[in-house]
Amino acid sequence: MIARVQEWLRDRLGLDELQQLAEHKQIPLHRHTFWYYWGGMTLFLFGIQVCTGILLLLYYRASADEAYESVRFIMTQVSFGWLIRSIHSWSANLMIGAAMVHMFSAFMMKAYRRPREATWLSGMLLFGLSMAFGFSGYLLPWNQLAFFATKVGTDITGAVPVVGPFMLRFLRGGDHITGATLTRFFGFHVAILPAIATMILGVHLYLVQRHGMSVPPQVEDQGTPVPQMKFVPHFLLRDMVGWLAALGGLALLAALLPWELGLKADPYVPAPAGIKPEWYFGWMFQTLRMLPSHIAGLEGELIGIIGIGLAGMVWLLAPFLDDPTGRGPRARFWSGLGVAAIVYITVFTLLVYRGGKP
Amino acid sequence: MSAPRLIAVTGVLLLAFSGLVYAAPADSLSGIARAAQNSCLDCHRRSDQARVSAPTAHWLEDIHAVRGLGCVGCHGGDATDSDLSAMDPDKGFRGKPGRDEIAELCAKCHADAAYMKRFNPRPYVFSMAEFRTSVHCKKIAEGDKKVATCTNCHGVHGILTPKDPSSPVFHRNVPLTCSKCHNSEYMKGRTVPTNQFALYRNSVHGKALLERDDASAPACNDCHGNHGAVPPNTRDISIVCANCHGREGELFLASKVRLAFDRMGKRGCVTCHGNHDVQKPTDAMLSTGPGGTCVGCHEPGSAGERGAHAIVTGFAGLKASIGVADSLLKLAEFRGMETTQARTALRESQDRLVAVRAAIHSFDEHTVAAVVAEGNEFATQARTAGISALRDWRNRRIGMGLSLLVILATIGLLIARIRGIAPR
Amino acid sequence: MDRRRFLDWMIRISGTTLGAFVLYPVVRYLVPPRIPEAVTRRVVAGKVKELQPGSFKIFPFGSQPGLLIRTQDGSFRAMSAVCTHLGCTAQYRGADRMVWCACHNGVYDLEGRNVSGPPPRPLERYDVHVEGEDVVVEKARTS
Repeated sequence: MIARVQEWLRDRLGLDELQQLAEHKQIPLHRHTFWYYWGGMTLFLFGIQVCTGILLLLYYRASADEAYESVRFIMTQVSFGWLIRSIHSWSANLMIGAAMVHMFSAFMMKAYRRPREATWLSGMLLFGLSMAFGFSGYLLPWNQLAFFATKVGTDITGAVPVVGPFMLRFLRGGDHITGATLTRFFGFHVAILPAIATMILGVHLYLVQRHGMSVPPQVEDQGTPVPQMKFVPHFLLRDMVGWLAALGGLALLAALLPWELGLKADPYVPAPAGIKPEWYFGWMFQTLRMLPSHIAGLEGELIGIIGIGLAGMVWLLAPFLDDPTGRGPRARFWSGLGVAAIVYITVFTLLVYRGGKP
Repeated sequence: MSAPRLIAVTGVLLLAFSGLVYAAPADSLSGIARAAQNSCLDCHRRSDQARVSAPTAHWLEDIHAVRGLGCVGCHGGDATDSDLSAMDPDKGFRGKPGRDEIAELCAKCHADAAYMKRFNPRPYVFSMAEFRTSVHCKKIAEGDKKVATCTNCHGVHGILTPKDPSSPVFHRNVPLTCSKCHNSEYMKGRTVPTNQFALYRNSVHGKALLERDDASAPACNDCHGNHGAVPPNTRDISIVCANCHGREGELFLASKVRLAFDRMGKRGCVTCHGNHDVQKPTDAMLSTGPGGTCVGCHEPGSAGERGAHAIVTGFAGLKASIGVADSLLKLAEFRGMETTQARTALRESQDRLVAVRAAIHSFDEHTVAAVVAEGNEFATQARTAGISALRDWRNRRIGMGLSLLVILATIGLLIARIRGIAPR
Repeated sequence: MDRRRFLDWMIRISGTTLGAFVLYPVVRYLVPPRIPEAVTRRVVAGKVKELQPGSFKIFPFGSQPGLLIRTQDGSFRAMSAVCTHLGCTAQYRGADRMVWCACHNGVYDLEGRNVSGPPPRPLERYDVHVEGEDVVVEKARTS
């Protein structure tokens, strides 16, 4: 009976072709193979976000009057609501962390070189989207920390030259952070960003399948042909071990370090001390904090924003600026840049949590 | 200058002066007061002598001026006469009344209900009979010059209504006004106590009224009366306090302690709480330790002491139960567990605690015990709910532990599978 | 059974158990809890037939007690039951048609205004409507 249903599905959905594709997919085996798992890890964690996010949607209310209370309701009244919520909050952070590992490892392995430039660009777009997901989602519980972190974040956006003030009003739904901001962020977080992300993700995954896995130049230069491992079952099984480990980690975090409720947002209370954005914005925040208030007659913050913007541009255009073969002095320079970026971001993220004056 | 010439010059000056006054432009101040021609004001205002011009300084703000009453109303004389002949006794001029005459003078209008009603449909009608019961009136009748009469408290020639915050008899200003005489300097040589204001300022009533502007707090006149000021005598005190502290007063007046106090000549309320320096009562008063009020009278081993002990134990027990439940719930909340139902029960319990502090004034252990029992029941409910919340929290960790085991097991099996597969 | 098949079988069992551990909380989550929504503005205070005219009921409104009164003419009124003096729970005295706090004799009228005794402020009024058999109390629209 089951066999006949399976046969029917095979025929109508063309499962045979998909199975062929999967069975043909090969993964290069070398000393950097470890880094290949991180794209899948990011995807797995994104899947967790979608599932837990949909579940939260069933009880969450996106108005200033009810948001905090609905989150408290989920945490205290809904069966396992505490678990779903804590997993969603933790997995968001783990996903962005995995995305950063994926991005940096792809950069260092020069996976962005020809013909994979579009894969790199779509990947950077996805990274930007995940930061937007994080920023918009953070406000939704409508607690003091979230409120003021959003205020600081949108203030900085407002400082961008030319488009800043427009961006600030666009993000906030007005001049100040109000219920209108919450509604808007909710719209971004559950509709607009998912729609865009799904499309870009589709493009990104398609491109990865089309071009296959990139092999780092040093490995290619070894001379001998690179051994391959079949995707199914070898790579996939290993992928699943990683995913299960992540799932276990999430369960541990949700139970031992549950995400707190905080205090309900009150715009008329002075901002609590030590307001900072989530860690993935930390290095930008720390950079701006450390700049002097004026440099060569211009506002320090403005210089910082422009600087970060330019750095981002350079990073984005790496496939076109680096040596197209990924070899030679220019390639070595870019590898150095990559290391510098990793070190800078790591150090500056840690500095945010060091405490004391910046 | 010779005497006749002096008189002539004075006369000419006076003529010219009155002519000037007659032709002078209307004053912009207080239309009502000026409409009734007031030669007294005109003349006295222009005098160089402070003694003569002083009454005019604030006259136009005086409530009497505002209501259209002139100087003549109290002092007699002729306000239309701009000559010194205005102050003719034949025209009713009385001049400055003696201290013992002032009350009668004010009462002439203020005790006349029909007259007062012309200005206010619900007037305060002064009672001369009431004033005669006061120490102030009695002492004035004896010839004592240093005792208050109407003008000492209400002012004179610039009297404001008691509702006006600048008035010396405005609620908040009363203690200061009374203390103008009731202090050690002024009262030197008398046997009357003089520390009342200092004590009052330090009391819960004084701080409420003077520092926090809480108009519900009593000033001197709220307990001592206004125009019939006497120190409230023994029998009256608890009735005075019960005017505001209704529940406590009601319970006390029905209690055995009140009967005992009557027998012993002790004063209710004041004996335990003090009068002018009454402080916010503390829970230490409801104990058998330092600060405990009951043991101040009840000897160890007496029935009273046993009763007090029972009450104190019940109260302390309830406080302790609430404390235990509260810290349990705080722990549960800190761990992110739901405690609303439990908190509702706990607040009922805290209500009973407040009720005990009032119920104690019955000085009956059964009354207090009933309230304590209710409180304990609610505290137990809260505690049970708190324990259940913490148990849930522990169960979560167990659940997590189990799921981790399953995950680890699966990972282990997968790795074994990976190893078992032929080399890739 | 050889090792490979045994291992596969064990993986299936372990995987299914894991699936159950994941699915169980999700299914429980989807079932609505006993109180279907966070009580912030609106609560069912009781049933119409629960209260006789001239009587009252204390009901929970969030974490605070509320006072539901059925007046002589059969209509309902609701207000906060937290006395504004020291926080005791007030009650309704049908005979006097006044709200009274037992702790220190505070008295409020049916509009919630503090009319005598120590309470410094009125009691917050709530809106009441009858929906079928239920008496629904809601925070006042203008608040």
